Amino acid sequence: MNKAEHALHEIHAMNELAAMDSPIHRLGALAKVVVTVAYLLVTISFSIYDCSGLLIMVLYPVLVYQIAGIPIRTCFYKLRIILPLVCAVGLFNPLFDRKTILVIGTLHISGGVMSMVTLMMKGIFCLLASFLLIATTSIEEICHALRQLHVPKLLTSLLLLTYRYVSVLLEEVGIMMEAYHLRAPGQKGIHISAWGSFLGQLILRSMDRATALYESMELRGFHGEFYYAKKNYNKRASFIYAVLWIGAFVVMRYVNLTRLIGGIVS
Amino acid sequence: MIEFKDVTFGYSKENEVLKGISFSVEEGERVGLIGSNGAGKSTLMKAMLGLISCEGEISIDGLRVEQKNIAAIRKTLGYVLQDSDNQMFMPTVLEDMIFGPLNYGMGRAEAEKLVDDTLERMSLLHLKNRQNYKMSGGEKRMAAIATILAMQPKGMLMDEPSTALDPRNRRRLIEILNELPVTKIIATHDLDLVLETCDRVLLLANGTIVADGKVEEILWNQELLEQYNLELPFCIAGIPERFKQ
Ligand SMILES: Nc1ncnc2c1ncn2[C@@H]1O[C@H](COP(=O)(O)OP(=O)(O)OP(=O)(O)O)[C@@H](O)[C@H]1O
Ligand SMILES: [Mg+2]
Repeated sequence: MNKAEHALHEIHAMNELAAMDSPIHRLGALAKVVVTVAYLLVTISFSIYDCSGLLIMVLYPVLVYQIAGIPIRTCFYKLRIILPLVCAVGLFNPLFDRKTILVIGTLHISGGVMSMVTLMMKGIFCLLASFLLIATTSIEEICHALRQLHVPKLLTSLLLLTYRYVSVLLEEVGIMMEAYHLRAPGQKGIHISAWGSFLGQLILRSMDRATALYESMELRGFHGEFYYAKKNYNKRASFIYAVLWIGAFVVMRYVNLTRLIGGIVS
Repeated sequence: MIEFKDVTFGYSKENEVLKGISFSVEEGERVGLIGSNGAGKSTLMKAMLGLISCEGEISIDGLRVEQKNIAAIRKTLGYVLQDSDNQMFMPTVLEDMIFGPLNYGMGRAEAEKLVDDTLERMSLLHLKNRQNYKMSGGEKRMAAIATILAMQPKGMLMDEPSTALDPRNRRRLIEILNELPVTKIIATHDLDLVLETCDRVLLLANGTIVADGKVEEILWNQELLEQYNLELPFCIAGIPERFKQ
């Protein structure tokens, strides 16, 4: 497998995750989208010094990954490329913000360190939650849910087609690399003299295929609405799921459960 | 049901692919569309579905091919693409097959039943939950044909339906085509397939229809076929020269 085929394989693997069966997979997409958005908003809204309050938010991903039967490890593996970037966001805060805000025994923790940790946690939590959504819901279902939330047709179609286009692009890269290497044995990568034509061909070919695929969708009655993604799901269960989680998020936001539990224990 | 009046089309100005084509196909007719590589068979089919815009007049089932009728026309005519990779865009065969029916307002349960029936008829039930990208060329071909059959169109356009099929699946395809009472246009180089499934043949060359007649008039006419870079169907030509003694 060359690199492109490898990447494509990972996209397909995502689709397969989304096609699995679990109580979470069986919920309506709308409920999952709403819960995810609520989670992201609540997580982001924590103050950058409120590390202990934020900690409890880990409950949602940990629990739901369990129920969905998806190992959290999978998420970290798939997101291994962007994870360091997310963690790097607050890296320099300790340099700028040196005021001590917490003293544990002899340990003085500065605001900078605190905010760095909080930002990292926020980033990781948000990634975990977003990944959870796409690992339990197909892109079509997500688009359908977004349409139900009155997100404009143009945006949802764009989202879907971009997602599709990425696979087409990778597929074409894979095919072309294979064809290239079959006739250029022993070469590592693609010779610089062929880059121009390779890239040009790639764009033309993948555009062509993307057009053909879109035409094929239109030929079968697609006009920007995702009727076909409507699944039979348990409406009541989905509703309860959404309400419970959103309720829980609100409680987690305004009651510092971590400290509360700590208080009870000690 | 299908009517072409003086239809002209070129991908570029200098190079016309269709030059003033006129013909009509009645409801229920079974037509083989033949012609050498690059003759314009696929282009002609795209014109019927409004995928390209041509000069002249095309009407399908009484509707002119123009923007306001496109949706209705595409519902009437099912189109099996020459390249199945471009036909299948959903992750699994099942999802691909219910895509069309659901878009046209059928309920999910009904659509799934239809899929089961279609697959059963084609002896393809084992492909139902397969991932599209994990299928062989021929399996994809059969599945692509199944997605179109599941839409229950009034007319079928098929572009090279028999390529990549093994003899058994090709035979199954022929049986299915012969059981299907709808109007059919089959573009192909497999003249034996035409012989078994069609009554009428259109021969396309140099952007025009150079012959239009009964299967027996055209497919037995060696001189005509060879003039346009084709050959007699294998079953008529018989055993290759070097094995004749
Ligand atoms: N997208 C395109 N842009 C420019 N020219 C094209 C395009 N598609 C096809 N052509 C040209 O139009 C002509 C007819 O092509 P078409 O695909 O209709 O042939 P065909 O009869 O289906 O051939 P085949 O038997 O090989 O499938 C060919 O000469 C081809 O080069
Ligand atoms: Mg063709």
